[in-house]
Amino acid sequence: MLRKIAFNLFAWSIVLAVAFPLFWMLVTSVKPQFELFRRPPTMLPETFTLEHYWGLLTETKFLSYFWNSIILSTTTTVVVVAIATIGSYSLVRFRYRGRETLAFLVLFTYLLPSVVLILPLYLMLVNLGLSNTITSLVIAYTTFALPYALWLLRSFMAGIPEDLESAALVDGASRLGAFWDVILPQLLPGIISTALFTFILSWNEYLYALVLVNSDEARPLTTGVMNMLISSFNIEWSLLMAASVMMSVPLIIAFAFLQSYLTRGFGAGGVKG
Amino acid sequence: MTQKTKTLLERRYSMLGLLLIAPTVLVFCAVIVYPLVSAIYLSLFKIFTPTLEGTWVGLDNYRTLLAKGEFWTSLRTNLIWTVGTLTLQIIFGVGMALVLHQNIWFRSLARSLILFPYFISTVVAVLVWKWLFNDLYGILNHLMMSAGLIDWPLDYLGTMPNAMISVILVGAWKYFPFVVIAVLARLQTIPDHLYEAARIDGAGPIARFFDVTLPQLREVLVVIIMLRAIWDFKEFDLIFLLTGGGPVTSTQTLPLLVYKEAFALNQMGMASAYAVIMMLIMLVFMIIYIRRTRSEDS
Repeated sequence: MLRKIAFNLFAWSIVLAVAFPLFWMLVTSVKPQFELFRRPPTMLPETFTLEHYWGLLTETKFLSYFWNSIILSTTTTVVVVAIATIGSYSLVRFRYRGRETLAFLVLFTYLLPSVVLILPLYLMLVNLGLSNTITSLVIAYTTFALPYALWLLRSFMAGIPEDLESAALVDGASRLGAFWDVILPQLLPGIISTALFTFILSWNEYLYALVLVNSDEARPLTTGVMNMLISSFNIEWSLLMAASVMMSVPLIIAFAFLQSYLTRGFGAGGVKG
Repeated sequence: MTQKTKTLLERRYSMLGLLLIAPTVLVFCAVIVYPLVSAIYLSLFKIFTPTLEGTWVGLDNYRTLLAKGEFWTSLRTNLIWTVGTLTLQIIFGVGMALVLHQNIWFRSLARSLILFPYFISTVVAVLVWKWLFNDLYGILNHLMMSAGLIDWPLDYLGTMPNAMISVILVGAWKYFPFVVIAVLARLQTIPDHLYEAARIDGAGPIARFFDVTLPQLREVLVVIIMLRAIWDFKEFDLIFLLTGGGPVTSTQTLPLLVYKEAFALNQMGMASAYAVIMMLIMLVFMIIYIRRTRSEDS
């Protein structure tokens, strides 16, 4: 019994140490500015304030960055998941020449470093006159999101028994009818977790946003918040921590409600490879 | 007759299959294959980024970069970062997975807390760590000083080797949850009777770990190490945002060098050459990983 308690305390002290930076982010964001410079630092805020959150929403461009990120990540997710769903169906359930090569190419691009693609993409998007638009970022994000989504959905698709589809075909359904009525409902959990991962990936992306967008109209949160750090004369840490918390809110929501989907996706894509 | 209709049906099916894959192929060609080929093509030019005017120089870029010390130092830095952070991720990840595999209080809450660093944006992670690292008001210096570990506040990111150690540690913190989840999933599938047999044979907890757990984890660990090695090697955001490659160029890895060459020194052609070389180095890992996955598939 004593050993059990000791082990629990040991385990939880590590867990809390790992989570401490996030706890500190939350605490800092609700402390008034003067309390930040107190020595020794106060572990819990003596004065609780939401002024930084209010300031963030009213005095900075945070909301417009946030909105850009929402549009950008949602568009990327919808486009990529739609293409990847029919693409993975074709890769898993149809036989034609070049299918294996294509599956290989998907895996290859899934591992490809984005700094290789970013230079030609930059040239291409400048030539198309798309630089500094959200569209350019959607196009750029496809380069990592599509291989990723295809790879995830491919393993989800492979997990659906082939008999189900054959039974529908015997009953007289067309191939696409069987896809719509039988495969799609079965694949739904997989689609949801793929969509979640794609959304998180796009939400967190930094490099493409840094290179391709240089105007506040199209800037997403990642580069926008970083700009707030660089451009401010003296760094307002509690404001930045409030921004960090707000930036993580969609992820926390996704986490709380859809944890089972997330771990499922993790098992399918990350580990099985 | 039946034979013929069947092949007709099959042919119609493969037509449909091609139709369904067409959007994927089109997008792939436009945003991946074409840029990849033109990256190689660009590397044969000398291009000034603001005007994008180029002159053909052939393989000169490659000759220059291989002769330049900066490439080799960056490659070395890149390897130090990759090996350092990967080692910590694996050790800490496996350890944490073993702990979370036990029946501890509020296990699912503990798991969520551990997973969190992996899902937050690198921008958020970097901002939080920069605040923790702050030399005057950072909590880390305060804690270390009150614990008597250091006498003076440390400069975590501005001097060497501190900067490299800090980057490696933050990288390990951010990415070890990946290892935890992967190992945890595998641990749950190890049959209990293996442990019981070992216990009957008189094996203690440590012997059981080395004789039962570790051999069972071998397969999944190889996959994790290869994947994480590839991802850590190409990491840009974390290092760029934490140190920007500094102090001077002490933490400048190859992805940062590519970025600097293209957008700070305005040498787009040279940057492409660096990117292509970097890809060639990674190709070794990638091919090993892909071959392994394919043989598992079949």
